[in-house]
Amino acid sequence: MRTAMRNWLIGVGLVTGLYLLGPVIYFNRVYPFILGMPAILFWYALVPVLTPIILGVVYLLDPVQHFKGDD
Amino acid sequence: MGTVIVVAAIAVVGLTILGMISGAKESQSSLSGWLVNRRNMGAWLVWFLLGTEIYTAFTFQGLAGYAYAKGGPVFYNVALNDVAYSLGFMILPLIWILGKKFRYVTQADFVAGRYQSRALGMFVALTTAIIMIAYIDLNITGLGAIFHVISKSRLSVMWSDIIGFVVLATAVYVGGIRGNAWQSVIKDVFMIAALGALFIVFPYREFHGFGPMFLAFGHDLGPIMTLPGKTAHSGLLWLVTTVLMTGMGQWMWPQWFGVAYTARNPRSLKIQAVFMPLYQLVKVAVIIVGFGALLVLGTHQNGNDVVVILARRLFATPFFAFFVIAAIFAALVPAGPIIMTSASLIAKNVWAEYRPQSDERIYRVTKLLVFPLTFLALFLALATPSLLVAILLVAYDFIAQLFPAVVIGGLFWRGATKYGAFWGMMTGWVLDAFLLLSGHGTLWGINAGFIALVLNTLVFAIISAATQASIKPGEANHFSTLYEMHEDPVHSV
Repeated sequence: MRTAMRNWLIGVGLVTGLYLLGPVIYFNRVYPFILGMPAILFWYALVPVLTPIILGVVYLLDPVQHFKGDD
Repeated sequence: MGTVIVVAAIAVVGLTILGMISGAKESQSSLSGWLVNRRNMGAWLVWFLLGTEIYTAFTFQGLAGYAYAKGGPVFYNVALNDVAYSLGFMILPLIWILGKKFRYVTQADFVAGRYQSRALGMFVALTTAIIMIAYIDLNITGLGAIFHVISKSRLSVMWSDIIGFVVLATAVYVGGIRGNAWQSVIKDVFMIAALGALFIVFPYREFHGFGPMFLAFGHDLGPIMTLPGKTAHSGLLWLVTTVLMTGMGQWMWPQWFGVAYTARNPRSLKIQAVFMPLYQLVKVAVIIVGFGALLVLGTHQNGNDVVVILARRLFATPFFAFFVIAAIFAALVPAGPIIMTSASLIAKNVWAEYRPQSDERIYRVTKLLVFPLTFLALFLALATPSLLVAILLVAYDFIAQLFPAVVIGGLFWRGATKYGAFWGMMTGWVLDAFLLLSGHGTLWGINAGFIALVLNTLVFAIISAATQASIKPGEANHFSTLYEMHEDPVHSV
């Protein structure tokens, strides 16, 4: 339970951090274009694809797959 | 345009009949029975139903309108749901475990059980039912914008909203209040097909491709695409505080909180949390279309109208008719469960809690409440005509105030008391109302709802600490269920 909680909080931190610190640190700008897209648009198209990967890893690492009531 | 109106009318009647067919059994079984019986859905069905209920008229029309009217701040909305999914990854399974053990079927049951206080449960039921009216308002405004555009502005916004109200209330009342899987499937397939076509066709018809369109964005829009865009105060601090506040707020919506009870097991909820973020790509596509609309349509349109105006401009009548149907369904299908949840909270968790009633009567009252609740939403829509996103943001300011009481106190902190929960929420709501009514939706660059949430949490913690003596033994049940299951076999199911 404790490991699962820790992994989850790391996952929440990563998703939130990517979305928020990305623009705060760098991506709140139009240029340079990345993969043909304005920088901010690129960032907000990239992170929705990274999010399932991050949460997928948290899921796979979760040792408590046998919550009570889980069948 | 006559064709489009006729085809759309037929589609709405068809959708309503579809609802009636599955709703025919409604009168035999009780409302609460229906709510409980849903606890058997696998991950993919949960994913689909959640997708239906979360991606509504706001995604279809409001998001492009926001990008069009305000620019870069629109990106908060992409972050909001994904932050919420990452939170829901653990929160929803925990809520599920407690729901199964203590037979909760609504959020108000959960609160009443955790704090061993029927009064607090009734209070939460009533207040959330009222906040949900804003969500109904959003869907009426969305429907109104569709009628406004297809009538070529011959219908005023007011009359368009009134027609939206009539269509919505009738479809929900006649078609049954349950919502059903087939309606959800049709709505999602139509919505993705319509928005997908718009996303592909738009750049090629207006800009000769994606590359030239993005170059035009850089050249002609420039900093409008970044924060604060065309707004005065929605900068980076606003982005951070708004995403944190709305991300915590999302699962506090009673209709989505209830989704935790529909899953077969906690694992289904975790799997859907992994895959739900993919839906966000639809939002990104719509935002791109909204930016493009600024270059194609100029700045004089009402933001809520731009998606339908673009579709009318780009598509031949048959596909435009399909697009209109998809837009109408995107507002209509999710509104059913929203109105139903609001009505059943009042009927079941307030009225029947105050004075016990038979399930049959609770069901009848729930259904009767459809009209007054939708009418209140219409009143709100007419009294404060707004961008869809403005409605959504205000609604989130209020609903997010449940987070300390429900999540912190409900799942993690034994020391929380009903007094702390109550006064925390009251602090948050009063502060919200004060800041919003005095025109401070953003204060010092910070989202007002976030300020309210911080103060709410402080009051919640301080009052709880001061009222520890009031904690009843039963209040520890949630925590022993969640955290002591291995040590305490007596509590195993």
